[in-house]
Amino acid sequence: MSMLAVDKTEERSYGQETASYSVRYAIRTDGLSKTFERDGQPLPTLNSVNFHARDGEFVSIIGPSGCGKSTLLNIIAGLDEPTSGSLFLYGRQDVTRLGSVGYMQQKDLLLPWRSVLDNAVLGLELQGISKQEATARAQEHLGRFGLEGFEKSYPHSLSGGMRQRAAFLRTVLADQAVFLLDEPFGALDALNRTRIHQWLTGLWESMQKTIVMVTHDVDEAIFLSDRVYVMTARPGAMKMVRDVEIPRPRSMDVIATREFMDIKSALLNSIREEDHSEDLP
Amino acid sequence: MSVEMGISQESSHTRSGSWARSVDRTVRRWLPALLIVLGILAAWEAYVRIFDVQTWLLPAPSVIAVALFQDAGLLWYHTRATLTEIIVGFGVALACGVLLATAIGMSRTLERALYPFIIASQTIPIIVIAPMLLIWVGYGLAPKVIVVALISFFPIVVNMVDGLKSVDRDMVNLMRTLGANRRQVFFKVQVPTSLPYLFSGMRVAIAVSVIGAVIGEWVGSSEGLGYLMLRSKPQFLTERVFASIVILSALGIGLFAFVGILERIAIPWRRPITEESETQN
Repeated sequence: MSMLAVDKTEERSYGQETASYSVRYAIRTDGLSKTFERDGQPLPTLNSVNFHARDGEFVSIIGPSGCGKSTLLNIIAGLDEPTSGSLFLYGRQDVTRLGSVGYMQQKDLLLPWRSVLDNAVLGLELQGISKQEATARAQEHLGRFGLEGFEKSYPHSLSGGMRQRAAFLRTVLADQAVFLLDEPFGALDALNRTRIHQWLTGLWESMQKTIVMVTHDVDEAIFLSDRVYVMTARPGAMKMVRDVEIPRPRSMDVIATREFMDIKSALLNSIREEDHSEDLP
Repeated sequence: MSVEMGISQESSHTRSGSWARSVDRTVRRWLPALLIVLGILAAWEAYVRIFDVQTWLLPAPSVIAVALFQDAGLLWYHTRATLTEIIVGFGVALACGVLLATAIGMSRTLERALYPFIIASQTIPIIVIAPMLLIWVGYGLAPKVIVVALISFFPIVVNMVDGLKSVDRDMVNLMRTLGANRRQVFFKVQVPTSLPYLFSGMRVAIAVSVIGAVIGEWVGSSEGLGYLMLRSKPQFLTERVFASIVILSALGIGLFAFVGILERIAIPWRRPITEESETQN
């Protein structure tokens, strides 16, 4: 329960929201900045990012390409450290994030020498769970992920969609508290995307996990999320945040509702400003 | 799902006709080389017969073939000795090579400490070291094994180190987010990545180890094909020298092919890729 201990800064900067201490932040960043160095020149990539995802929330981040979205995810995952600012995982700053945050990148990153099943249980294997137990857990999910009968196949013999689902299964089985998804559906066509959106929503609702997703697709972001962030062009900062209060479960029809359209136009306007600023002389 | 079904049907179809296909492929693959060899042999035979070249100067292929049969017992005795040197020497090289590459792959410090010596070991002409080995370790199997191991460990180390380094950074990061430690990353990602490289090194190594065995025998021995050649030359038994050369080439080709078979067994996930690229050609 020590994970719940709410730090002082949280109280200060989020005074109103944390008035009742029942709100749990899975992730919260406070003035998070990252500056890389390229050819001896400082390259500011993230500029004082304030961001949060409550426990069990689905949050999306959209923004122009190269705005540092992936850098932000890398830092949250623990692959990189911020130059300044702080990051809290369940209210704690001192936890080892590597191993606690699931991270699914654009590439499926399946190990080519492992079968689908052996890829899926990778996280469990690293946690020291017995092969038998890990296999049993994977078997339970194979059907839901559309991988039944393919557990012994090597990744190269699968279609792109199946590889993606196998990577998803690996992330889900590792059972980390927070999942980061970096444009997970970029490789899929529109029809498959719609289907996988509904599938993912169902999965997320049954898992009760916190998901942070980076995407280019505004419809996708609104449809899936409880809240959508828009980032500025590099150096990335949070430009606007919009709650999506469309009740769940959502059907595909919500795309045509007034509420959806309002949110979409607000987000698109915000993104458009960023894209234009790049084109100006 | 219909697309995926189509793919799996196609691959099973390929498998059913695979035997006929592989025979066909083997013929197409080796026919040009075979024709060239037959052409050269025919020209050689004709040259010797037309110009009546003495056998001690240049024996005709037919004479060499007769020698191969007539001296079969003697040749087999010496072949066994050479083969033993090659196999033991190559085994030592493989064990040392893999150990050294592992050490280098795991630690930058060890890389800096060991690599200069590994390269230095190749700058000293083996023909200079070989006689010294006779003085140091005696006259038996040991000096030949050392010569073979000294030349053949180098391609093994260099290739495997390259393989260990060629690891996909994103895969390493994925492993880290799943909680893997350095050792787990090494054995579960780096080592499998390096296997194809290791086998490339082993194929070079097995070819040069045949040369190593002959050099070892030339410097001082009482058996082996190199010794037989050395002894047959002053006796003007040139056809026996050539018979030995034929056997040495056959040994080299056979061992090379054997490493290829081992590779296919050890790297099953790679096999369909090469088959695919071959059928496309």
